[in-house]
Amino acid sequence: MDKNYVVLPCNGLDKCAGCITREIALILKEKISCEIICPVFYRVADARYNKLANENQLIVIDGCNTRCATRLASEKNLKVYKKVNVSEVAQKNNITLSKELKVGEDEKRVIEIIINELLQENQNTSKDLEIKFPETLDYEIYKKDKFIFRLPKNGFYFNENDCWVYVDGNLARIGVTDYVQQSLSDIMFFNPPTVGNEISQFDEVGTIESGKAVFEIISPVSGKIVRINEKLLESPEYINENPYEKGWIADIELSDFESDKMLLLTFDEYFEKMKRKVDEFHV
Amino acid sequence: MKETKVGIVSCSGEECLGGTISRLATRKVLEKLRMGETVTICLPLFIAGGEEERLFAKVFPTIAVDGCSKLCAMRATEKYSGKVNAVINVAEILGEEIALSELVSLKELPENYEEMVDKVANEICRKIDKIISDILTKEALEELESEGKSSGGCCCGSC
Repeated sequence: MDKNYVVLPCNGLDKCAGCITREIALILKEKISCEIICPVFYRVADARYNKLANENQLIVIDGCNTRCATRLASEKNLKVYKKVNVSEVAQKNNITLSKELKVGEDEKRVIEIIINELLQENQNTSKDLEIKFPETLDYEIYKKDKFIFRLPKNGFYFNENDCWVYVDGNLARIGVTDYVQQSLSDIMFFNPPTVGNEISQFDEVGTIESGKAVFEIISPVSGKIVRINEKLLESPEYINENPYEKGWIADIELSDFESDKMLLLTFDEYFEKMKRKVDEFHV
Repeated sequence: MKETKVGIVSCSGEECLGGTISRLATRKVLEKLRMGETVTICLPLFIAGGEEERLFAKVFPTIAVDGCSKLCAMRATEKYSGKVNAVINVAEILGEEIALSELVSLKELPENYEEMVDKVANEICRKIDKIISDILTKEALEELESEGKSSGGCCCGSC
């Protein structure tokens, strides 16, 4: 799972549909490791859930048309990723929900329908957000003393902050250039951006740290973080080994690349700039 | 005797095992142990502004069943409808450690969870019985009093 979800069920206890919302939330927790928000505790303790609800994809599950969970999400100004109404799903599938609170066979069918739809959607979304990144890259090399600075030639753009972006349709992969990893030397820590966060061009999207300095990664593009390179959490040295391939930082769903592109440098522009920097600063 | 229903407001129970036990125990009381004598008050709806729920809790005796000492159910009921007649805190019955343990899924409930549910459900029943008995006693006394008043004297009949 690359995306993080959080579920807000209505958790009602006066109709069966409310009990079903809770069952669905518990199943989702098991299947996609999402967190569950307690609707009652959220009202009394904002701080407990605000960050969670704002930084993840929020699935709101209402039991009936009173829509307590939706109302709560609206009162808290939460951005809802997906809404489900148990009674509506039951009606659409010609299933009559029990008047009792007990979850019987018919109710189990409704649960199954909703879970399958949500999981299917999740699978499709993850698939849609898979970037096609070239298996091999063609590099231009600039040498200074013992140091080698590589720069991929095709399909890459750069910003003045020594970060790169590779674009594939509405998706982009970002990272830092060889200039950054050579300047920092042995990278020891990677502090990643949060998946699901909306970012603007030139926002900070995490940091990397060596014994010499902390480097703020400045995003060359705007959009939503859909994936981070989790391997860097264990092995930040991958950035030193190759910051364009195994040392990539994050994947972003682009919001307006055409505008972003106007403030980016092409390979030729950045290569010249990088050479000057290397010559001036003697890494 | 007037028909008396007791409202039960259960904790919504997403934070800890105590919450789940409180929901399960409440359902057992509603569906099996005191069916017909009890009504569930949906706490999320109650807090969201459910007028019927709030009015019921104002007019009828109400028990709050809370999973832990945050007492969300009791606090909410008292905020919107007035004092509850009884409070049951699962953490006090089963111990803080059990009540506050993290709930992963219904499938991973501890083996003895039914025992826990029964313990809490029995405590709810005890409170319901006490509330109803108090109401009956009060009604009987009121009846005696009004009979005394209408006959114009005490019950010995010689006054």
